[in-house]
Amino acid sequence: MIDFSVYDEQFPHISGWKCQKCGTIYYPAPMLCKKCDSRRDPTTGKGWEEFNLEGPCKLLTWTRVWNLPEGFNRKFLMFGMVEFPNGLRASGRLEAEGDPVIGSTLTASVIEADERPGKPVKVFLFS
Amino acid sequence: MAPRIGIAGIGHCRFGNSSDYDLVDVIAYSANDALYDAGGLALRKQVDQVFVGNMAGGMFNHVTSAASALVSRMDMEPCPAELIENGPASGASAIKMGYMAIAAGMADVVLVAAGEVMRSVSGWEATNIVATMSHTEAEYNMGLTLPGFAGMFTRLYMEKYGMTERDLALVAVKDHANGALNKYAHVQLPVTIEAIADGPEANIVNNYIAEPLRMYSTCPITDGSAAVILVNMDSPKAKLFTKKPIMRIAGIGSATDTHCVHNRKDPLVLDAVRLSSQMAYKMAGIGPKDISFAELHDAFVIFELLNSEECGFFERGKSFIGVRNHETDIGGRIPINPSGGLKAKGHPVGATGVSQVVELVRQLRGEAEEGRQVKDPKYGMAVNFGGFGNNVITTIVAKD
Repeated sequence: MIDFSVYDEQFPHISGWKCQKCGTIYYPAPMLCKKCDSRRDPTTGKGWEEFNLEGPCKLLTWTRVWNLPEGFNRKFLMFGMVEFPNGLRASGRLEAEGDPVIGSTLTASVIEADERPGKPVKVFLFS
Repeated sequence: MAPRIGIAGIGHCRFGNSSDYDLVDVIAYSANDALYDAGGLALRKQVDQVFVGNMAGGMFNHVTSAASALVSRMDMEPCPAELIENGPASGASAIKMGYMAIAAGMADVVLVAAGEVMRSVSGWEATNIVATMSHTEAEYNMGLTLPGFAGMFTRLYMEKYGMTERDLALVAVKDHANGALNKYAHVQLPVTIEAIADGPEANIVNNYIAEPLRMYSTCPITDGSAAVILVNMDSPKAKLFTKKPIMRIAGIGSATDTHCVHNRKDPLVLDAVRLSSQMAYKMAGIGPKDISFAELHDAFVIFELLNSEECGFFERGKSFIGVRNHETDIGGRIPINPSGGLKAKGHPVGATGVSQVVELVRQLRGEAEEGRQVKDPKYGMAVNFGGFGNNVITTIVAKD
């Protein structure tokens, strides 16, 4: 039997995952390792190492979005795609003065966002 | 050996704003249109299977089980009917399922009808609903939308290949010129390069949506439906469909790619487009040079450019040069989106794949409007995206 119950966290974080059998890392979480076929149980994480994905990263591309979806009561939001030193990539929100430069080093942190109905969600902030 | 499978009837409504109408009625209109085009409404009793393409009727219209509703609305019970959902490629997937049902020997005549009524909600909500096809944790929760991804994608392409925002506008000018002549198109107005790129008020007329994408780099939010009648050309039932020449489906290919865009080895490479087109070419026994014209999924004009490269019409990074040289115009080397594409014809997400194939048939029959009819076409190709290029269906239709 699997139990999907969750409880509130003390601080927001977003996880990367490492297969303990072969060492391959992933974000977001896979359900199996594409290299060694190890299965991941999303509730226990047995056989997998979870680590916080944050810190320095390189900006690959970015955009400034002016037509945000319902719930986002802002004029615009910036988004970027980054690569971490371990090779993992992620997409998230971007905070920058003016137009950022592709290839520049940013810092990834995690915040909680509540623009949409329902539970707050964890969001990358690259700044 | 699989039988020859062709398209005996086509139906299409005027794309635009149908938000006062019931989703199932909108789909049924085009289904009736296709039956009439094939020879008459009585032919509905010859249909062995119905497939309905729809992406998000449950969210846009609070309508689920649209296939069950359609057969009842059209007096077609007890004909088997299923709903096919594959995001914005639901239409092409429904055609693929129809083809497979005939090839498997389970049907000789299949009605494929597809539709979407998106303008029943606000533009903000529609953008949000479409964004639900992205990865929940790693993309949707971030607040990212399809225009957001397309903006990042376009910036990468511009940085790598030297394309300009004016080049994007040239694609829109070409698509709107074609759409202006298409009786089914949502936007039937041409635009000039002065108005949207070169003129002093271009920044106002053509404002940013997701930089560097502007309004004229992006498809409108559109309602509409389209339908086709698929027939086993080698079956006795084919003799009932003599009103119009049957156009043969020569090739179908489909492929998937990573759900998360950032997990692609090179985010600028659309593997699923290339692989699906190669599958379709192989099945048809032809190559890119044999294609007379193509309908390419241009929800954002950058996709028209990238698709034309992945399908083999241009070298990587060279498609926008081809647009500058008018190679993709109606009279050019490889006309692309003679219908106006998603950009001008509109993109009712679940209907688009069927609408593209309807355009292939109209062109191959020589029924397109004067000024946008491709000269003596032999093979038409359609590429329909589900997600951000992560589930793609390519269909090639031939005039034998």
